[in-house]
Amino acid sequence: MKRILPFIIILVVLVVALGSAWYLTRTIPASPTLPSSSGSQPPGSQGSPVAQQQKPPVVQGVPGADPPHVLGPADAPIKIEEFGDFECPPCGIFHPILEQMHAEFGDKLQITFREFPLVPTHQHALAAASAAEAAGLQGKFWEMHDLIYEHQNAWKKEFDVRPIFEGYAKQIGLDVERYKRDMNGDLVAQRIFADGKRGHSLGVKGTPTVFMNGREVPFENLPAEKLRVVIQNELRSSGR
Amino acid sequence: MKKLYVVAALLSLVGLADALYLTIEHVTGQSVRCTIISGCSAVLSSPYAVVAGIPLAAVGAAAYFTVFSLAILTLFGYHSAAKLMGVMVFTMFGLSLWLIYLQAFVIREFCQYCLLSAAITAALLVVVLISRGLRR
Repeated sequence: MKRILPFIIILVVLVVALGSAWYLTRTIPASPTLPSSSGSQPPGSQGSPVAQQQKPPVVQGVPGADPPHVLGPADAPIKIEEFGDFECPPCGIFHPILEQMHAEFGDKLQITFREFPLVPTHQHALAAASAAEAAGLQGKFWEMHDLIYEHQNAWKKEFDVRPIFEGYAKQIGLDVERYKRDMNGDLVAQRIFADGKRGHSLGVKGTPTVFMNGREVPFENLPAEKLRVVIQNELRSSGR
Repeated sequence: MKKLYVVAALLSLVGLADALYLTIEHVTGQSVRCTIISGCSAVLSSPYAVVAGIPLAAVGAAAYFTVFSLAILTLFGYHSAAKLMGVMVFTMFGLSLWLIYLQAFVIREFCQYCLLSAAITAALLVVVLISRGLRR
């Protein structure tokens, strides 16, 4: 017995380890890696089911930067509010997904972007947020927002990102001198702070965090094919 | 002497649990959302987290399981297992140093679970060195 006992112990540990790994990978909802919008299946087709969790409560929170950066009509039945960090890779992956939803649902969707730079984690996140806000002061927030996200991989490894963002400012036709002043100005800092404060009051801990009509959309529902279903369900329940 | 191998077995069990947790995180992508406190998303989503298509955390889990098995075999009198365990632990320690270097200077993010793994490997190394010292 003593000769085979160690092998029994080893076997038990192996079975427990593999069994718990198998159980956990099955119970934890998979694929919140935001598979890019390549999974453009028609609505209602197969694909991974939307996580059916209990509806989270509607949250109000303190107001963020005013006026917020908004796309779409104020009376849209679906209001999406995204807390994003320009340097965060999943936010970069989520960007085209949200664009796709905007194109698909048109006037039924209103999108608000809130700054939530994760400063200790991402060294350039604050500079990126400032660049987008400075562009916003000249009415070109979304143009800058798109460029920064689309070129995320090109700038995030750089040591100094400011010249790169200045290049984007030129590209979208900003008054670059004013942009440079605004980037370091109080107004931009206050807007980022206000959005951060709002995020904090809503319990935002990471990015992207997305609220739809005041309720948080679970992270695992952010891939395009799932978000589409979530929006459709919300439209159905609002009777529009 | 026997106690040392019990300690080694227990340490490798903790390492196994830690590495399994990281593997599950990697496979399910739970930590892929960026957060303020955790650098694990950056570390686990980096190209260094995968070797030949296999998550490095899974390789770590296999290594800890091997060390656990060797420690148990040594405890039950299979003394040749001790030598193999020493080689394994030395290799794992070297790899851990490399991974800490990657986290500090290349990825520039630290993942606390990866650091815990490195600490366990360091403790295992201490156990192996003491056991070798006692044998002489």
